[in-house]
Amino acid sequence: MADLDERPHKKPRFFVEDSPAHEAPRRSHSASPSATSEKAPPPAQPADRSSPPTAGEQNGFDPETFRGFAGEDVSDSTIRILQNSCGNNLEQAINVYFDGSWKTTSSVPAQRSSIRTPLALGHSATAPDVKSASSERPSTETPKPSALTLSPPKRYIGALGVTAWTTRSGIGLVKPGDVVKIERTKQQVPQKGGKGRGGFRRTQDFVVRFTNTKGDEIGRLEKDSAAWISGLIDQRVCFFEGHCIYAPERVRTNDTVYLQLRCFLLKNVFDPGNFVKPLDSNRQTTFYEAQESTDERDLRLRQIGLVKLFSEINMQPSKANEMTVKHKREGLLQAAEIAEQYDAQKEKSTPADTPEGGSSPASEEAEDGEELEQDQLDTLYKKAQSFDFNTPEAQPADTFTMDLRKYQKQALHWMLNKETSQKQDHKEQSMHPLWEEYLWPTKDAEDKDLPSVVGQDCFYLNPYSGELSLDFPVQEQNCLGGILADEMGLGKTIEMMSLIHSHTSPEYQAAAKNNSIDAVSALPRLLNNSTAIEYAPATTLVVAPMSLLAQWASEAEKASKSGSMKIMLYYGNEKSANLQTLCCAANAASAPNIIITSYGTILSEYNAVANMSGNRGSHGGLFSLEYWRIILDEAHMVKNRQSKTARACYELAATHRWVLTGTPIVNRLEDLFSLVHFLRVEPWSNFSFWKTFITTPFEKGDFMRALDVVQTVLEPLVMRRTKDMKTPDGEALVPLPPRTIDIEKVQLSDPEREVYSHIFARAKRTFNSNVEAGTLMKSYTTIFAQILRLRQSCCHPILTRNKNMVADEEDAASAADIANGLADDMDLSALLERFDADNHEGDQDASRFGAHVLRQIQNDASMECPICSEEPMEDQAVTGCWHSACKKCLLDYIDHQASKGELPKCFNCREPINAHDVFEVVRHDDEEDEDFIMAESEGKSILKSLTNTEANDPEDDELYTSTQTPPTKTPRITLRRVNQLSSAKIAALLKHLKRLRKTSRTTKSVIFSQFTSFLDLLSPALTQENITFLRFDGTMTQKHRAKVLADFAQRPTFTVLLLSLRAGGVGLNLTCAQQVFMMDPWWSWAVEAQAVDRVHRMGQTMDVRVVRFVVEGSIEEKMLRVQERKKFLASSLGMMSEEEKKVQRLEDIRELLSE
Amino acid sequence: MSAPLPKRIIKETERLQNEPVPGISAQPHDDNARYFDVMVEGPGGSCYEGGVFNLELFLPDDYPMCPPRIRFLTRIYHPNIDRLGRICLDVLKNNWSPALQIRTILLSIQALLGAPNPEDPLNEAVAKQWKENQSEAIETAREWTKLYAQKN
Repeated sequence: MADLDERPHKKPRFFVEDSPAHEAPRRSHSASPSATSEKAPPPAQPADRSSPPTAGEQNGFDPETFRGFAGEDVSDSTIRILQNSCGNNLEQAINVYFDGSWKTTSSVPAQRSSIRTPLALGHSATAPDVKSASSERPSTETPKPSALTLSPPKRYIGALGVTAWTTRSGIGLVKPGDVVKIERTKQQVPQKGGKGRGGFRRTQDFVVRFTNTKGDEIGRLEKDSAAWISGLIDQRVCFFEGHCIYAPERVRTNDTVYLQLRCFLLKNVFDPGNFVKPLDSNRQTTFYEAQESTDERDLRLRQIGLVKLFSEINMQPSKANEMTVKHKREGLLQAAEIAEQYDAQKEKSTPADTPEGGSSPASEEAEDGEELEQDQLDTLYKKAQSFDFNTPEAQPADTFTMDLRKYQKQALHWMLNKETSQKQDHKEQSMHPLWEEYLWPTKDAEDKDLPSVVGQDCFYLNPYSGELSLDFPVQEQNCLGGILADEMGLGKTIEMMSLIHSHTSPEYQAAAKNNSIDAVSALPRLLNNSTAIEYAPATTLVVAPMSLLAQWASEAEKASKSGSMKIMLYYGNEKSANLQTLCCAANAASAPNIIITSYGTILSEYNAVANMSGNRGSHGGLFSLEYWRIILDEAHMVKNRQSKTARACYELAATHRWVLTGTPIVNRLEDLFSLVHFLRVEPWSNFSFWKTFITTPFEKGDFMRALDVVQTVLEPLVMRRTKDMKTPDGEALVPLPPRTIDIEKVQLSDPEREVYSHIFARAKRTFNSNVEAGTLMKSYTTIFAQILRLRQSCCHPILTRNKNMVADEEDAASAADIANGLADDMDLSALLERFDADNHEGDQDASRFGAHVLRQIQNDASMECPICSEEPMEDQAVTGCWHSACKKCLLDYIDHQASKGELPKCFNCREPINAHDVFEVVRHDDEEDEDFIMAESEGKSILKSLTNTEANDPEDDELYTSTQTPPTKTPRITLRRVNQLSSAKIAALLKHLKRLRKTSRTTKSVIFSQFTSFLDLLSPALTQENITFLRFDGTMTQKHRAKVLADFAQRPTFTVLLLSLRAGGVGLNLTCAQQVFMMDPWWSWAVEAQAVDRVHRMGQTMDVRVVRFVVEGSIEEKMLRVQERKKFLASSLGMMSEEEKKVQRLEDIRELLSE
Repeated sequence: MSAPLPKRIIKETERLQNEPVPGISAQPHDDNARYFDVMVEGPGGSCYEGGVFNLELFLPDDYPMCPPRIRFLTRIYHPNIDRLGRICLDVLKNNWSPALQIRTILLSIQALLGAPNPEDPLNEAVAKQWKENQSEAIETAREWTKLYAQKN
């Protein structure tokens, strides 16, 4: 059956000319919408029944029919009033008529409906020029335009021309100048709240009819215009009045007719209550559901309709936000289209399909949105960084002890402004950026004056939501905080501290004043454990990653005049009793001014509160207070809005909310959403809002527009300066000493090369076979994992076998292992055998070093080697089971057994052993004092010393073995692991370090690797060279981290800090070092640069040298090339589309695997 | 044998001569220091008592990584020693360790004579006999000892 939405082709002409005849009786019964709504949908009806099953439902209210219902003769004027007040709704009109309420509305002038005089086309009408159109002017009472005091039920906004086609034939059915009614076919969508809505019908019913004054259908509007006009009629946004411009004298079915539609906005659309915002609250769980709800869909139709309408009638906003206006209309329509496509996709695919339309690879973590390419990020940031160097400065309070640089004072001013802005009266109310202002037209379609309404010269439209308003939409600044996104090293912490000092709550000020007079009030008051949230007027809550807690505390301490700030660390076991009691307003004078806590603590308390069924108050923890201020440091920690940590943070209550991050957007625009949501910036904190205006256009490929909108979001919220910003005088913001970066090429040893080649060949094979099979994108993860192995093998072949991979990469790698059978790869095993050694960490080993063992070893030293009979042994070495032999003999024997494919066993006790568990016995009798001191402060390693005093406290070696024994004549013995086959990179590093130690004995170095397992291998190598080192990684407790950092800063001597790229990439201040070694290249230089910036940041006074180790002729070299090209691309290309990105990635891989 | 003799072999040889083990002797050949003429006396109380067994012992190039090669020259009726004089002894095979020496190996062989192990036979026929009729087997061993292993 033909779909009647479509205009039939001319040829099959089977319509009966007088078909409406038997439709007519039916119409008169259809006054009740509920009765008709149950009828079968139109597609099920025979094709020739083209006239509407109902007509009286919404418009087209026929006076005769009305009189029939009323049962009495109702005067024309009364009917006109009713028509006006009821928007031509017959049913409503009848109700109004009978309950008498129409009389009260009768003061509303009736002239609007009496304008039956069209024929001039609207000024923007697109219909073809028809001469006869304007000639005739039926005379009607011309209303005298006068100012109205009340809004009319509908108000003219413009006219447009449309084409329509006839569904009947006949002579004089309609002629130019005739007024026609514009009607909707009955909507088939079930009643609101109806159950079992299984999504939407696939084909939407868009049919819009036009009828003669008697209500007989003449024809329909063309689908193009009907599509949106229908929505506006259905949702009672507009009333359309049709005027025939041109119709053939003798109308045949499917003839084209030109109509002018005059459009009126109905009064009720401006009622605030009338507009149902879809899913207004983010906290609704339904919010996360992928399905578009009926409301959302209605919203979309209404929105499209309005945008189309305004463009058709050429209504231009009299005021709009510059930023958004540029892309607005086409963008909105695009967004709507995309939503439409999603619908279609969703219906085709299974319900369990991904919400984002299944376009992103499944391997990604569950985050919304697509990743941004570096160049897009660059563009975005560049825009956000238009910092005005002439912004005013503010002086911090005198309790703040540090000197602020100029830009920091400017930041303080800005922040103070942000925090206090609401308190000032709205001096310059700015319009909400998403709204547009329109002037009501003063002339109607015939250029006659329209009555104005007092105080209502304009109205406002939010084209993003389809919302209309008569009131000025103020840009609400309900966020009393913002995003401080200064680049790392510019001193965000200090800037924040200056704010904490300089803006305190009035309650706290009052309390502090009282306190100084009346000492008694300083006594803490006990608070009855209230279940409500208490206001903590004195307290700023700082949430930071574990690794930065100590740093925050010490910087806060440093920045404050002693006694001016009470600082409290709140995490783990150091949580004190009841925060609520401590911080409540009554105790403001004694409450901590700064509480520093970790994201982990937030999360665990959040869970605890959730378990107490959300009773925050009685929990007494972090969630029981409303703080004066909250600061999220390194706020990209909560970039995933779906993560529990993020959700926990959203729940924290505070007057002022701040986030600090050097990267407000890490790789998705949604990252920013999470921050904005935390800050509660309306309306952006509403995700559907965000999605419509940012995510969707972005995914559609309209980057510039999405980024522009993001820009409008960011602008009032963000302060960001970068280190390379220059003041107008050309001075750097923070003058830093120069930094040199050298790339050191490393040659692999033969055995290393063998392993490398093996893995390389395998990766290449995988790649090629996928190229052939055309499954490249699908097996991206597999290939990626193999490349990971390849990179590891450049550091040390044994890493490829290590289980302690960087967590991110672990899953991918193990999945790929299984897929490839790499786990059971015997060839590789054989190659690796030589390197193989389970990497036992020192603790365990150290604990096994009893003094008697060492003594035994010492005694053995003088004995002959059981293998070669050398006496004494040459380079005594011991097995894990403490049996001594020459180092060479021992290793040879292990080799020998391994080469026979046997499990190496101890020559003495036949315990299984391996090369890694062989320890060299080092005698310290011939070393210089200097080295001796070094060796004494070894870090966490297997090192343990034996002197004639056996005072080795086993507790001591958690971090540092500190045997404070002065050198004596008895030779001291140290055991150190023998790295049978070290790696070329380790050797290169050691060479550098040794040279460095010789030339500058106080230099401190930082060594970064992305593989913590590689750091594990570096430790013994450093030990062997008596190089003092410390280690900092994600597995350490907060206490240890702090201790390590403090220790590293305080040591006067040559010291090395081992850092994992991940743990050390954020926040840390390592300016006490001057040398950086990057052991392995990362995919993007930006990440490495960030790590380097731990050292090369504010506070650094010396030149910084960076050495990047890169294995020659390996994938690492190629990674550098990829890094390089990406830098280049970012500047030369604009935004890339999704397709281009994929191609780009494949190119990267191809390049990495090229010979 | 152009390579210089490893210190280990020199030391072992010296020690074998300077501190001989009772009932065992090992004499390197003059022209080949890795080749030893070995003599082991049957342990007292065993069916080999009174016998003197000659063996040859060779230290391969990778000694002591590999065990010495050793075999009986004197015929012996023993479940773990075959007709060719080859010996089934774990320390000469999988359980070799470079910490073992000629001396310890020969002691092990002597111990093997004192405690035949028919469960892990090299000579099936002998082992079968040993298991089925141990006294007869022991008798045969005694006879063989008398027959073949008398000191000249």
